[in-house]
Amino acid sequence: MGGIPLRVRRKVWFRQFLLQGCWNYEGMQNVGFAYSILPALRDRYEGRPEELSRGLKRHLEFFNTHPAMAAVILGAAIRLEERVAAGKADPRAVGTFKVGLMGSLGAIGDSFFWGALKPMASAAGAILALVHPLLGIATLLFLYNSSHLALRFRGFAAGMEGEESAVRFLKDAGFTGRTEDRKMIAAILGGAYAGVVVSRTAHMFGGAWLDLGVFLAAALAVHLFTVLFRKAVSPSEVLFLLLIIGTLILWQ
Amino acid sequence: MAWRFLLAAVLGGICYLDRTAAFQVMLHRPLVVASVMGAVFGNFAAGAQVGAVLELLYIARLPVGASIPPDDTGAAVFGGAAAAAASSSIGLDSGSFTSILLLSVLCAESGKFADRFVRRINGRIAHLTVEQMERGDSLAVEHAMMAGIMLFAVLGMALTLLFSGLGISVARFLLPRFGPESHVQFAALLPALPLLGAASVFSCSRTDRTAPVFYLTMGCVFAATFFFRWVG
Repeated sequence: MGGIPLRVRRKVWFRQFLLQGCWNYEGMQNVGFAYSILPALRDRYEGRPEELSRGLKRHLEFFNTHPAMAAVILGAAIRLEERVAAGKADPRAVGTFKVGLMGSLGAIGDSFFWGALKPMASAAGAILALVHPLLGIATLLFLYNSSHLALRFRGFAAGMEGEESAVRFLKDAGFTGRTEDRKMIAAILGGAYAGVVVSRTAHMFGGAWLDLGVFLAAALAVHLFTVLFRKAVSPSEVLFLLLIIGTLILWQ
Repeated sequence: MAWRFLLAAVLGGICYLDRTAAFQVMLHRPLVVASVMGAVFGNFAAGAQVGAVLELLYIARLPVGASIPPDDTGAAVFGGAAAAAASSSIGLDSGSFTSILLLSVLCAESGKFADRFVRRINGRIAHLTVEQMERGDSLAVEHAMMAGIMLFAVLGMALTLLFSGLGISVARFLLPRFGPESHVQFAALLPALPLLGAASVFSCSRTDRTAPVFYLTMGCVFAATFFFRWVG
């Protein structure tokens, strides 16, 4: 039996975008993972319905990681299933591999995508939207998806070469350095955004000393909000407080 | 007007799908959603203005593990629709702008409950899938996926209809009740909102190295604009 045909790989690659399509509290992304890998399992276990059913059940066990990072695990899991179908590997190895990788990849993905790349793309989009909304939207989508889609593509390809190749890919990708870099850019863009807001506000008052006062008050406000966020106060709670203050102003 | 709501529901459904169930290509971000809603309800630029502020407000809340962050897509649906409707009736002054942004927090929080509800139903679907698999039905996984996607899409469409309807109602009936003075007073809160957004970005990206860089950039941008105003 040959390797997984290209059309099946392509099908699996596109299906990974539905990984969270049936997200639930018990198995989290289990149904999504089983759905994504199904074309490869059907190819491997053609004419062997009982083994196909057993293979699918293996992937209906708990699974949760960052959706973009799942591409690596998905590719490597297909390669493992190929060996299981050929009788060269223990079926339990598939579950062990997935469980071993999903936690760490989830942490790396959350830190890189949600903690660094998304804030960076959003801040760039918000700043450029002041120039033209379409420019802001295009920047946001391009900055995020250029890294996101590239990782899904290259991660899947590395996974398809085997577990060792997947691990090597993750090591070579240098996520720690990339996360730090994007956090730095996000901080610069966030600072620029705050600077623009303060200068616009100060412009309404006029006078050098008043401008400086407005700047210091704004810097203090940002610091206060950051301290509140660190103490697990959510932005919604701050907004609720501002809404109450606004209502009281109107009441008077 | 009915066709606008219909179009909003379809586009909102797609954006909500992008939020959790499918793609995750950032079509659900407030900047995109509020602009789209603004365009659907007659003023693209007004929607984008609201979206640009909402974009950063909730970014500090990460969708890690089973935690559900505030529904900023819902807030953007409300904000975009309300801004477009306000700009064509009373005008989108700073007071209306501030009140739309602050009222959108109610949508952001209520959207979380709807999301939780769908995830619970998905739990039952996943349970049934395993049972059907035991009986040898290999199509069960595909059926479960269809059901999950449909559920997320229908919820997204329903929330879009609800929040855009609320946005239009607020802009048409609530905001005009307050006089110009109230609008000016309410506008005093406006600078706090983008600063809250900047603080959200800062708290996400905060490390020992980035903290001084953030404040330094803020100071440099402020000083540069101050200098150019002073010169010219």
